[in-house]
Amino acid sequence: MATATSSMTWQSMNLWRLEWLRLKRTPRALTMAAVFVFFGLLQPILTKYQSQLLSHVGNGVRISFPPATPAAGVSGYFRELAGTGLIVVVVIAAGAFTFDAHHGLAIFLRTRVTGFWRLIVPRYTVNAGAAGLAFVLGALAAWFETSLLIGAPAAGAMLAAMLCGVVYLGYAVAVTAFAATLARGTLATVGIALAGLFALPIAGVYRPIADWLPSALTSAPAALLGGTHHLPHYLPAFAVTVAVGGAALAAAVLRLRVREI
Amino acid sequence: MLLTFSYLRLECPGAALAEPKGSSWVKVPPMPNDLPAAVAIGSGKLPPNLALALVPLLVLIVALDVYCLVDLARAKSVRNVPKWVWAIVILFVSAPIGALVYLFVGRDRGHDATHDPAPAGAIIGPGGGEAGTGREAGADGDAGAGREADAAGGAGDGVNTDAEAGLGVGRAAGRPPVDQMPPDCRPIVTTSGLTRDYGGAGLFDVDLVVPRGSIYGLVGPNGAGKTTLLSLLSETRRPDRGTISMHIGRNQIAVCPDVPEFDGWLTAAEVTDLARSLVAPSAGKQAVATALATAGLAGSAGRRVGGFSRGMLQRLGLACALVGEPELLILDEPTSALDPAGRAEMLSLVAAMRGHRTVIFSSHILADVQRIADHVGILRDGRLLYQGATKDLIDTYLEPSWLVRIAGDPEPVAAALAGEPWTTRAEPAGADAIRVDATSLEAGERGIPAVIAGCGARQVSCEPVAADLESAFLALTGAHS
Repeated sequence: MATATSSMTWQSMNLWRLEWLRLKRTPRALTMAAVFVFFGLLQPILTKYQSQLLSHVGNGVRISFPPATPAAGVSGYFRELAGTGLIVVVVIAAGAFTFDAHHGLAIFLRTRVTGFWRLIVPRYTVNAGAAGLAFVLGALAAWFETSLLIGAPAAGAMLAAMLCGVVYLGYAVAVTAFAATLARGTLATVGIALAGLFALPIAGVYRPIADWLPSALTSAPAALLGGTHHLPHYLPAFAVTVAVGGAALAAAVLRLRVREI
Repeated sequence: MLLTFSYLRLECPGAALAEPKGSSWVKVPPMPNDLPAAVAIGSGKLPPNLALALVPLLVLIVALDVYCLVDLARAKSVRNVPKWVWAIVILFVSAPIGALVYLFVGRDRGHDATHDPAPAGAIIGPGGGEAGTGREAGADGDAGAGREADAAGGAGDGVNTDAEAGLGVGRAAGRPPVDQMPPDCRPIVTTSGLTRDYGGAGLFDVDLVVPRGSIYGLVGPNGAGKTTLLSLLSETRRPDRGTISMHIGRNQIAVCPDVPEFDGWLTAAEVTDLARSLVAPSAGKQAVATALATAGLAGSAGRRVGGFSRGMLQRLGLACALVGEPELLILDEPTSALDPAGRAEMLSLVAAMRGHRTVIFSSHILADVQRIADHVGILRDGRLLYQGATKDLIDTYLEPSWLVRIAGDPEPVAAALAGEPWTTRAEPAGADAIRVDATSLEAGERGIPAVIAGCGARQVSCEPVAADLESAFLALTGAHS
């Protein structure tokens, strides 16, 4: 029997490959990419033809829009940073971080790792990387569609907007990792993470800190594409987002260490 | 769909709208009838740009549907409804919603079109599982150091490594302090006053001593504290009071829960290899193959574990535990999900580890414990009522008993036996047999033949009435009730 098994071939496993396989063998990667690309392809079309589309459902009420601009075409996509795209990323990341929800799996992992950071870092890196890649793919799709239908947006502003999105999604995954140490189940983790992410913009009503909050990065693409602000304006938000994201990961490791199963 | 209506204005035919003073709204001329959307709906023609823009969107949706259909066709099984229903859902429920519903609700994560369908093999003896000997030395250093450093940060409260051993060991009467014993004779695990209180239930003042190389069975009724004790030993929970002294490195301990769980989309070989990479990174793939073969899963190495039965998961849990060649194996109810043949194989495998590996296992099947455990600990209501050699427990808590068959009338012999001071009971048991209970094993074995000979009776047979752990357990727990 040993001979039969040893004749098999498989790639050597480790915690990094585990996360890669989690994305590859389940619908997670496909779903993330499909959602972002779908909205990237759809939003410019809706922006271009929203007047005509709504004229057919207006019941005699005519809704008029200003002419569509390239900035408006891609901004519709970037709003997914605080909408459906964010929810999908949080749900998928929560599924990876909530290993303590399964007692047998938690024992398997916890009694074998040499430090809980080894459980967190690969999960964070792979999920945040996949979310960022999916977001960029969607942005490229939106860029293509907008150029085709409306006109090309400014390349520099597009790249800056993509950077904002990638950094914000990395922060969202870190918040999800921390939320998974406050709850055990996936649903509860998603609820806590989304509550934290959606509640943060409320603090932005206090103007002096609005530009420092991570949520400033969700509205940054529209301002960057519209020319209202340039990238340096958001450097404080970048710094805070990276710092808070790192703190969330560190807190997740500490909480995992003290949590019993 | 997420639409944002910025800068919009409304125009109602026949009603003049008051435009706000200073408004930045732009008055847009009435829409001509030949605009793309109108054309699309009215005449069925699309402007070239819109058609081109829609192509990638349609490709994405169609690709998702095709992927799902191919996945459905390759799947050996699906969840919730039959495959043909999922085909209808994918094809006819508004794209891509039907495909997404299939991916999340219908896809069977356990299926694998390429897996080896061969059934699980039998568990083989440990003689075939010695590959990888000597690799621990290379694996121990980093992993062990890391674990201990991590534990020092808080996870290992109340747990001592070998260097800290000796605390509280003197509580156990009749044995020398652990630090005065030769290394090979030291118990591998000792606990002192170990307490974890769950508000009246839990574990209280447990002084555990597990001899090195022994098979230590932990028995007790439901709620006795067996799993709590194993959780404290494996550091997945922390004690309220007391200490645990492990006289081995942390990386030489393997834990297997009663219901092992793994990611269902991994194969058995990948799961075991993951365990190897975590505890014995220098060991080769041959160690994985050997562990799987030892656990009886050689034929299922390529199967995804999502489709495994609970018994197969227990075997896989054992393979993951063995792949690191641990010195101490902690097994929680290792036979609870196995069929009778699998149970016997598992017990044989564990029994064969005696001497070169220490095993602590819990079970509520006393016959299993009696069969393989040379040491036993009996827990009830969170307290350790007894620990020691299994044989001593049976000898101590059971009056030895024999069924003596003689040729002829048993009444005179029974009367003679009843008159002996070492006899607690002697009475006929049928036409030619006498049931004799004695105060001790030795007294009975010496006295019965002498009395029979003294009566001039002919002895046909003298069989000990089986004394089992269950009887001892009942006697012990009954004595303390």
